[in-house]
Amino acid sequence: MLQRILVWDVPTRVFHWTLALSFAGAYLTSEGERYRDIHLALGYLMLGMIAFRLVWGFVGTAYARFGAFLFKPAAVVGYVRSLLSPSPQHYVGHNPAGGVAIFLLLTLGLLIGLSGLGLYWEFGDEDLFEELHEITANLMLGVVVVHIAGVLISSVLHRENLVRAMFTGYKQAANAVSITRSYVWLGMVMALLSAVFLIVYLSGS
Amino acid sequence: MLTLNRCMQALALCAAFAALPAAAETPQDILDGFTVEAKTEAPDFQGFDAERGKLFFNSTHGNDWSCATCHTSNPAASGKHAKTDKVIDPLAPAVNAERFTDLKKVNKWFKRNCGDVLDRECTSLEKGDVLTYLMAIQ
Ligand code: HEC
Ligand code: HEM
Repeated sequence: MLQRILVWDVPTRVFHWTLALSFAGAYLTSEGERYRDIHLALGYLMLGMIAFRLVWGFVGTAYARFGAFLFKPAAVVGYVRSLLSPSPQHYVGHNPAGGVAIFLLLTLGLLIGLSGLGLYWEFGDEDLFEELHEITANLMLGVVVVHIAGVLISSVLHRENLVRAMFTGYKQAANAVSITRSYVWLGMVMALLSAVFLIVYLSGS
Repeated sequence: MLTLNRCMQALALCAAFAALPAAAETPQDILDGFTVEAKTEAPDFQGFDAERGKLFFNSTHGNDWSCATCHTSNPAASGKHAKTDKVIDPLAPAVNAERFTDLKKVNKWFKRNCGDVLDRECTSLEKGDVLTYLMAIQ
């Protein structure tokens, strides 16, 4: 019996889409000095979101915890293999390949943000941070592409709309437990703080 | 023994590279480089001109910014970023010894800033004119 269960709490969803938009925006404003203020604002926002997620990975709801998507390499290989077989393995929370993508995205995002801070506030080795900032940003773009492809492939194979789940928080599942709290207030606080920060930062200059 | 020797050679080579200073150029070296490029770009190249460089530096080129918008019209003074208000150290090598000593940095910023101001890359003539102007400032 399939049941509708809550998988992603609100802070995780707010984190996800804010991260996606801030990364895309920062990437698009990186070329010249014209949009430097927007680039900086989105970079700070992305760093703030990642900082939140690092904490939420330990204290958040069940499916959002790092422990829930930290798989052994063999499990990752097994999952990807099973996608090619007639009966792909199914996970309610993150699948093993998705888990790898999250750790990569968080690590790369952190490296991009820290090297960017160093370049602007002039700490660390300028040449090294310049290379690091650019290389990690391009690597992250690559991981995002693979991540989106993975989401689409898994959605088709499992006949399950994963993108919608990242908006609504709900999935259809049998024998799985719903999370008990969605922390709406925390998600609202995050969205509000992000909006206020962007408005104040970008109208200041 | 032979392979050991090879290893030692490779190590020595790496060490030599690692010891190379990152900023090896002088403003004159960089200007000489622009001269070579300008000659290949324009066969009738007549040399760089500080006055032309000054005019280029202070003019807008089709949109709202000039080089002086951020670097001010006095390259011996500190500038201010038009978008972030962050202080920019003076561009004239006479007052800021770090300027034009790292070809990679020079190329990066000419490419970026010319894009910001002209929506295209600068020609070697334009870059040479600007550098000649900046080097003439005492
Ligand atoms: C929007 C602001 C802005 C504008 C407009 C601008 N610059 Fe810059 N420029 C910068 C910043 C920021 C740096 C890097 C910070 C630093 O090195 O102090 C820089 C660095 C440079 C450097 C690096 C020199 C070196 O060796 O360190 C050169 C050359 C340069 N600019 C030339 C120009 C020229 C030529 C123009 C006009 C076509 C121009 N800039 C317009 C902001 C600007
Ligand atoms: C715009 C297209 C995108 C779509 C459709 C999308 C979709 C998804 C979906 C469906 C999940 C949940 C996976 C699962 O159920 O196992 C997810 C997770 C995640 N995605 Fe995306 N994503 C997109 C872009 C991005 C971008 C640009 C980034 C990073 C910059 C990103 C980072 C992440 C992270 C970190 C997670 C884990 C979320 C968490 O548990 O905190 N995504 N994404």
